[in-house]
Amino acid sequence: MSSGDKIVEVSAHHPKTVAVLVTGLAFLLALFAALPSFWPQTFKNLNSLHVDTDPENMLSASEQVRIFHDMMKKKMALYDMVIVGVVNDKNQHGVFNPASLKNIYELTQFAKTLSWPDPDNPGHTEGVIEPEILSPSTVDSIQQDGPGTVRFEWLMRHPPLTQEACDSVRRKALMIPLFSGTLVSEDGRALCLYLPLSSKDQSYRVYKKLREKIATFSGDDRFYITGLPVAEDTFGVEMFIQMAVSAPLAMIIIFLIMLFFFRKLILIISPLLLAMLATVCTMALLIITGNTIHIMSSMIPVFIMPIAVLDSVHILSEFFDRYQESRDRKKTITGVMSDLFMPMLYTSLTTAVGFASLALAPIPPVQVFGIFVAFGVMLAWIFTVTFIPAYVMFIPEKSLAGFGRTGKMDDKQVGNSLLHRTGLFAFHHPVIVMTGVFLLAVVAVYGIFQIRINDNPVKWFEKKHPIRIADHVLNQHFAGTYMAYLSLEPEEQHINISNFADSFRRRMNEEKAGTADMIPGAEEAFISLDKKLQEVIRENSAPEQPQALVSLLRQYAEKQKKQFSDIHAEEAWDEVLLFMDRERQRFETFKQPEMLRYMDRLKNRLLQTGVVGKVNSLTDIVKTVYRELVSGRQEDFVVPQTPEAVAQCLITYQNSHRPQDIWHFVTPDYKNTVMWLQIKTGDNRDMTEVLKVVDQFVRDNPPPVPLRHEWFGLTYINVVWQHKMVRGMLNAFLGSFLIVFLMMTLLYRSALWGFLSMVPLTVTIALIYGVIGIIGKDYDMPVAVLSSLSLGLAVDYAIHFLSRTRAVFSEKGSWSRCVEPMFGEPARAISRNVIVIGVGFFPLLLAPLTPYKTVGMFIAAILLTAGAATLLILPASITIFERFLFPETASLSLACRCGTCIISGAAFVALVVVNVVQFAQIGWTTIVWMSAAAMVFFAVLCFILSKRRICR
Amino acid sequence: MKHFRTVGLLFSISLFLFITADTGSAITVDEIVKKANQAAYYKGSDGRAYVSMTITDSQKRRRTKKFTILRWDKPGKDDLYCEDQKYYVYFHLPADVNKMVFMVWKHVKSDDDRWLYLPALDLVKRISSNEKRTSFVGSDFFYEDVSGRNINYDTHELSREDKNFYVLKNTPRDPDSVEFSYYIAWIHKKTFLTIKAEYYDKNGEKYREYVALRESTIQGYPTITKSVMKDIRRGSSTVLEYANVQYNTGLPEKIFTERYLRRAPVKYLR
Repeated sequence: MSSGDKIVEVSAHHPKTVAVLVTGLAFLLALFAALPSFWPQTFKNLNSLHVDTDPENMLSASEQVRIFHDMMKKKMALYDMVIVGVVNDKNQHGVFNPASLKNIYELTQFAKTLSWPDPDNPGHTEGVIEPEILSPSTVDSIQQDGPGTVRFEWLMRHPPLTQEACDSVRRKALMIPLFSGTLVSEDGRALCLYLPLSSKDQSYRVYKKLREKIATFSGDDRFYITGLPVAEDTFGVEMFIQMAVSAPLAMIIIFLIMLFFFRKLILIISPLLLAMLATVCTMALLIITGNTIHIMSSMIPVFIMPIAVLDSVHILSEFFDRYQESRDRKKTITGVMSDLFMPMLYTSLTTAVGFASLALAPIPPVQVFGIFVAFGVMLAWIFTVTFIPAYVMFIPEKSLAGFGRTGKMDDKQVGNSLLHRTGLFAFHHPVIVMTGVFLLAVVAVYGIFQIRINDNPVKWFEKKHPIRIADHVLNQHFAGTYMAYLSLEPEEQHINISNFADSFRRRMNEEKAGTADMIPGAEEAFISLDKKLQEVIRENSAPEQPQALVSLLRQYAEKQKKQFSDIHAEEAWDEVLLFMDRERQRFETFKQPEMLRYMDRLKNRLLQTGVVGKVNSLTDIVKTVYRELVSGRQEDFVVPQTPEAVAQCLITYQNSHRPQDIWHFVTPDYKNTVMWLQIKTGDNRDMTEVLKVVDQFVRDNPPPVPLRHEWFGLTYINVVWQHKMVRGMLNAFLGSFLIVFLMMTLLYRSALWGFLSMVPLTVTIALIYGVIGIIGKDYDMPVAVLSSLSLGLAVDYAIHFLSRTRAVFSEKGSWSRCVEPMFGEPARAISRNVIVIGVGFFPLLLAPLTPYKTVGMFIAAILLTAGAATLLILPASITIFERFLFPETASLSLACRCGTCIISGAAFVALVVVNVVQFAQIGWTTIVWMSAAAMVFFAVLCFILSKRRICR
Repeated sequence: MKHFRTVGLLFSISLFLFITADTGSAITVDEIVKKANQAAYYKGSDGRAYVSMTITDSQKRRRTKKFTILRWDKPGKDDLYCEDQKYYVYFHLPADVNKMVFMVWKHVKSDDDRWLYLPALDLVKRISSNEKRTSFVGSDFFYEDVSGRNINYDTHELSREDKNFYVLKNTPRDPDSVEFSYYIAWIHKKTFLTIKAEYYDKNGEKYREYVALRESTIQGYPTITKSVMKDIRRGSSTVLEYANVQYNTGLPEKIFTERYLRRAPVKYLR
């Protein structure tokens, strides 16, 4: 008796114990997950349910790009924002009419009140950050006011009462490049308010309050509330709808189909119970281990349920077909379990491997998803081999009386005859089948090359979703609502300090000559400074960086000044200090006009892409202030000639209600600047294009000072994680493909059988991805995730088919005699499975978010294709390769089969390589050499092993 | 006698001033306000100081500006009759704004006149604005804090007093014109210097705070020589340190003119 049979035997003997254990486990786990979620105060040490909808978390928090993103956000005081777009299509002036502007003013005043004491941080508030609100009534305008006069004032202090006044607000706003296309749409018809939040989690509260306020407005204005935080919150809600609707619905559908197939309510309740128990345990464990409910992990129940049912369907199917033979439930179930134990173990293992391989993708939510589904699948398997036999024993024999197949009537059933004919066709015309498969494969490969890698989290919402509509409308009116930030910083340069000291001294001497006559004592002071410089250089105590040297000399000058009480000496040292400050400011990179002009050229290049709607930068501020200071005319919309002029424009700009605005663009030391890009779409493809353009531009146009450019912002983070995902998924797929192949080779003790079992799933996956490429569906997150899991699912059918074929073959002795029985029970089990599971995923199509739909649709397609591929390709292949598959010689152990052994070794090496490459920084050359050596080693080893006496 | 005169003056200036009946002390609210205004902005007939301004933002990044302030008062009837003034602010550092000048003619009864001289642009600009609560050169101080807020813009009430301080609540007459709903000022009983002021927004939250950090007596005048303004919401603060403070220096009125913007009156700036 095998160990599998023993488990089944024990379960069938002690049904009550098994039932109590299984349900008890589920209950306990659920309790531990539920308690802290409902009473977080009482159960502080336990993890509670935690929802995470932040797309940033697609990357691990320790990921370089996220660290940089957070650092820059803090450095430049950039916040997550709720964006309120206001559009009026009825009024000929758009929103620039007294009624609309009054609403906008009121809404702004209202938004200012949306902050509350922070419970975690006494003395601080959370919510909308009032001084950072961008709205016509909270920003300043700058404009000409008669000759020689410039006027600074609130762009819209009060809501204007006349149309002329409204027009004036619009005119003023459109004159300021920072506002045009951002605050006011370029067509002058719409407005956007930007409400920065102290933290993202405030958005729902703010969103709700805004909606309440907007509901009180009358008129034709339409308000669109958007911005990432709002999208995230909405996403969270939809996610729960998905979980609350799709998973139970999947359950019901599976239930109905099984009822249709097996017609015995009491029997089909068992797989449902089992699926529920497996799901509850897995989800509870997810919560207990402190993992979050994320877009990926929210799909776990929907995945586990159909897969958990999968094995049971096989059991029930067999049980159904065989019961009438003996009319003994125990005998039947142990017999069925004995036949199915190994195939079920392997199908579960391969499925689990497929999912577990997602742990290799460097995206935390995907990893969690993969690991927990894998766990759930194995749990379901354990439950299947213990709980199902136990459950069967609970059913009184008499209630099974009319259950199962009786007699020959089934052969007349359309489904069965169709299956039968399929089998015969594949058997008789293997060449036609294989040619067809080959042709399809060619098309598939063509399709795969057409695949377009692209994702856009906003498109995760349906087209008619308010967020999609807001996205569409606002991007029509404005320059783009997707922000990406380009940080520019001078590269650390090694400058020879004595060279620097020479040039410094030259400038110092010029200064000395210029002031010597005018200020008594200046000459002496400069000489003293020079002495200090020489001393530092001579003693070799000079800092390595010129900037540090300047700072050292400045401190010296300050100290000197304090030593003298004599007014003339003080004056002289003031001159030295002025000179030293000028030296300090030479390092203020982004006050240099040539730098600002360079940024302007980069901006113009970006605007040519057609993807970037607008770029805001320090240059625009400087040019705007300069224009208004000089003449207000467009010809003066330029960067002034000297860094001093730039500085004086900026200080003028800071004499405003919002002096802090400039620090969103540059750091106070002027060494790090940020260009804000407004992009029209959130498509990663477009952002990737922008990245390329900037790299190319910087390469073709070296900046005046070597610059390091680095991106941040969510639009960029999306690109990074997508890139990681594509590579990660490919590796995960390769890895699980190799593992599954090794498992198959091990199961059948033959590399040929291993290959054979991989054929249907390979064809399936190629076809699915070929179709994705051909129909132009973007290769996005859900599509990427599908590859690994479809592998795990699709191989199941091959395992069942081949295992049974081998079993039947050993009975009948010839393949031609196997076809008939194979296309009876086993084929039926497979096709039932396809239908039950495939249809079981359909409820995902009803989910409100597109990724779920994609998954539902493609899983169904994968299962259907895999089922068909299995039932066509395998019989055809066996017919062609019968001689090799069923050799005359007796079966030998794996180690004795030289070929199989070598191939397994090679697959193993490849598997190791696939994993090592991801986690270790080793060059490809090294890897190729090392793996070649390993393969030779395996070849020699296999050769020696197969020559042993035992193998003869 | 003086007391009666002050009361008479009070009525002649503004009939709308809200007066709290003052039981404890022999001084009216209006008198406190005027004396405080006088102590803060009108000491002597003129004044000058070398100012170091250090702005520290929420990330603890610091920037320093140095400038000289010259002040000229229109001769008034008496010490409490605070009249029009002229201010001349000349920037020394940072180097790239060296020689920049900001000049104000403060009018008690009308809008101020303001000029800006930007040497690097070789440009003298008049600034027309009725906004006085804008940042003074990027700091947390407002332009109005530097030259003094017109006492007639607010109503004042004595909310309490203790051994050292009169605590005044000041409420704007035109709430729409300012960002605060009221501010509380602690005025020292002896010197009438404002030692602390807290500004409250429309939600009743404190968002801005002024604190005097150092007091010295110069030429017999108690003077704040170091003070800080904090912007609580932005998390930034600005410290002003006054050095070389002098009063009654005999500054000629003529240097407070457009002509002297381009040609700074060097001898008065040292």
